[in-house]
Amino acid sequence: MIDSTKVVGYASPWSVAPGDTVRFHLSSEVLDRAQARIVRIRCADSDRNGPGKKVEHVLSPLDGEIALTDCPTYNGSWGRVPPSPTLRGLKEFSLGLWLFPTRVTGADQSVMARFDAATGHGWRLFLDSTGRLAFQVAADGESTTLTTAEPVCIREWIFVSASFSAPGGRLVLATESLAPDGGRAKAETLEVEMRVPALWPDDLALSFAACLSGQPDGPETVQHFNGKIDRPRLHATALAPAAIRALVETAHPAIGDPDLLGAWDFSQDIPGDRIVDLSAHALHGHVHRLPMRGVTGANWDGTRRSWTEAPAQYGAIHFHDDDIDDAAWPVAAEWTVPEGTRSGFYTLEASADHDGIRTESHMIFFVRPPRGTTTAKVCVIAPTATYLAYANNRSRIDQTHFEVMADGLMVFAPDDIYGQKHREYGSSVYDTHMDDSGVCYSSAHRPILNGRPSNYTFNYVNDTHLLDWLEEQDIAYDVVTDEDLHREGAGLLAPYPVVLTMTHPEYTSKQMLDGLQAYQNGGGRHMYLGGNGFYWRIAFHPTRPGIIELRRGITGLRSWEAEAGEDCLSFTGEPSGLWRSVGRAPQRLTGVGFSAQVFDRSTFYRRLPDSDLPRASFVMEGVDPDERIGDFGLRMGGAAGLEIDRADPDLGTSPDAMILATADRTGPGGIPAPEELPALYRGFSGEESSISRADIVLTPTARGGAVFSVGSIAWCCSLSHNGYDNNVSRITGNVLRRFLDPEPV
Amino acid sequence: MLRTDPTTAHYPVDPARLDLAREFRAAPKGPHGPELRKLVHRFRWSGIGGRWCLITVEAGARWMLALLPDIRGEEIRTFPDTTFTSLEDAEWHVFRIRWKAHTGQDLPEDFSDTDA
Ligand SMILES: [Fe+2]
Repeated sequence: MIDSTKVVGYASPWSVAPGDTVRFHLSSEVLDRAQARIVRIRCADSDRNGPGKKVEHVLSPLDGEIALTDCPTYNGSWGRVPPSPTLRGLKEFSLGLWLFPTRVTGADQSVMARFDAATGHGWRLFLDSTGRLAFQVAADGESTTLTTAEPVCIREWIFVSASFSAPGGRLVLATESLAPDGGRAKAETLEVEMRVPALWPDDLALSFAACLSGQPDGPETVQHFNGKIDRPRLHATALAPAAIRALVETAHPAIGDPDLLGAWDFSQDIPGDRIVDLSAHALHGHVHRLPMRGVTGANWDGTRRSWTEAPAQYGAIHFHDDDIDDAAWPVAAEWTVPEGTRSGFYTLEASADHDGIRTESHMIFFVRPPRGTTTAKVCVIAPTATYLAYANNRSRIDQTHFEVMADGLMVFAPDDIYGQKHREYGSSVYDTHMDDSGVCYSSAHRPILNGRPSNYTFNYVNDTHLLDWLEEQDIAYDVVTDEDLHREGAGLLAPYPVVLTMTHPEYTSKQMLDGLQAYQNGGGRHMYLGGNGFYWRIAFHPTRPGIIELRRGITGLRSWEAEAGEDCLSFTGEPSGLWRSVGRAPQRLTGVGFSAQVFDRSTFYRRLPDSDLPRASFVMEGVDPDERIGDFGLRMGGAAGLEIDRADPDLGTSPDAMILATADRTGPGGIPAPEELPALYRGFSGEESSISRADIVLTPTARGGAVFSVGSIAWCCSLSHNGYDNNVSRITGNVLRRFLDPEPV
Repeated sequence: MLRTDPTTAHYPVDPARLDLAREFRAAPKGPHGPELRKLVHRFRWSGIGGRWCLITVEAGARWMLALLPDIRGEEIRTFPDTTFTSLEDAEWHVFRIRWKAHTGQDLPEDFSDTDA
């Protein structure tokens, strides 16, 4: 068995052209060196029932040994306001905010603080290990903490204030629930006297959702908070709770008050990382590690569902102690891609023998053709948004339904065991945070254990079966990524007669969808060789490459659901969720759109009368009228399976579309997507209903363009069957050759 | 908030229905009849008797038994001494563990030698 966990890491950026430099951030718990080389991936699937793993060694200066260190990864988003004379000189103060705690962790969670955890000096408002709110002032050898008698209600807004007054040394902590409902309404006010410290800590930043660790090595912050913070205020006098509440309730406190030191408005710069102070003291700061922004505040009233429409109701930030945006590991090696390097899927392969076991790890990246040029007639779009969406997906481990879905024991890779020990690498947008809120961001700047050559086949490994087939057919191709298309638009595709999308291009930004649509309507030919494509609306980060955002909305095959009012993207303000929900169902682009999951066994297609139409007859050339199409394959024995798509004129399948074949016998495991069911009834599975089906559709578009769709993730994993001599391969080849012919389809 | 709740699978397990166990033994990867499907659903969804799974040792050829944690985030336990060269054998192994957990009764390892 080949291990793939002794070296882990990531390449950045994922997409490079000749002349660009790709950097490799590597770590090893056990090795201090490994053999490195650059490889071009042809097939990443080591399954002996298929073509087997095929990689091509690319000579580079990296060939040879590479030094490794063990790099830590730290989690937890937080907000930081830099040290300032305003904060340092405080003799008395009060603070207030709205708080929406989402998890009791068994450890302290700092909400707002100027506190050094190493020395224990400063002040902090925090949730203690049992979920009780507490306020601590500690300096000069003295420490006093007020703690509420009752733990907070999880997922309820509460008003919290705390003050410290100098003359008498009085500490006050007050909390009050926002909801007056029985069972939830709670209020407490606590007071205590303490000696006034003579000496406050000097150069401490003010922090939200964490406090400073005080450790020179190790994480900068500790005690990360889980939950939302809305409209925090800091005042230079010890105000009564009611006065603080007045400051916290208004979105626009009187900034003329010289004692109002901080009035943070988290509804500003929601797409970015700044936190803005409205007060005259301008105590602005930044958030770190991508806390969730564009979330509802305590004042959200349900009249608007987007932060763009009612920003004042979105003045909260949701912090998580397991957030990550960049592991920030040091660069262990880098490679400047030489001119003339063939476009393709690449990795840095790091290998070694450890205790008699071979270890081999791959850090993925993609080489595109030189900018502004093409080196082939066929362009393959690497679905990097989907790779990011699935990055470190833990839902099969954390949730209960996958064994039922697969109708069999779940099969994991050793990577999954390792990943479970390293939850700090973060999870995917399929997962929820430990506080059960959905993970909405995913970053390429961290080790990703599943989207690479390994035993986890979904997406990346399946996609390489298409590359393997192209190589086998001697068809030259260029590779560009989703993010390239997102940032550069339709012009990136326009020079290519044919564009291929791969097994599962599920996640699509507006720019990507617009680019593909313009390509198709400009005479381009698109072969969509997957399933469940163009389904979710995502955005890439406006400025930072390699980071996506998704809100799962309130329909679709969603592993979590956006909180009420939180289905718009913080990066752009666009409504997220399904493209279908905003009038652009996948059928509009490709003729087919997601209909069902079939994870237990795949099936075959049969030809339909449209396949004999003169305009479409090239597709089935060499396939008998009654021949089963794809009654074989590496993904559960058929070409139609896993996630499948169907045609539907109501959802946008073109009047000119020709439905050439269908795979509609998906059996009891063919379960339609929730948005396909207008009511709940028996008999909707593929055993009794053809709503769960994959259709092969050919659609002529404008200016001689066309789209050919197979509507199944499993399709490409049937290409190599019988030495590539089979009808899935034949059909794919028929279409590709015809699409390369400039004669209008 | 959407969740899958392991306690919701509630189809009754009848220890006398050895015919269902025999049907499973004959075709661990299915297809299964309606009654057996419901029994297997109860076994798989509830997690009673263990959240068993497999780890690939050699792709498409050999698998090791493993146990997913009941508490989120805890380690996956592996059983390197229990490996299978067929997924059918692995299914039957886990089926027997779960049958015992639900009924309190052992299933013979090989049904072909018995005529219960
Ligand atoms: Fe999908």
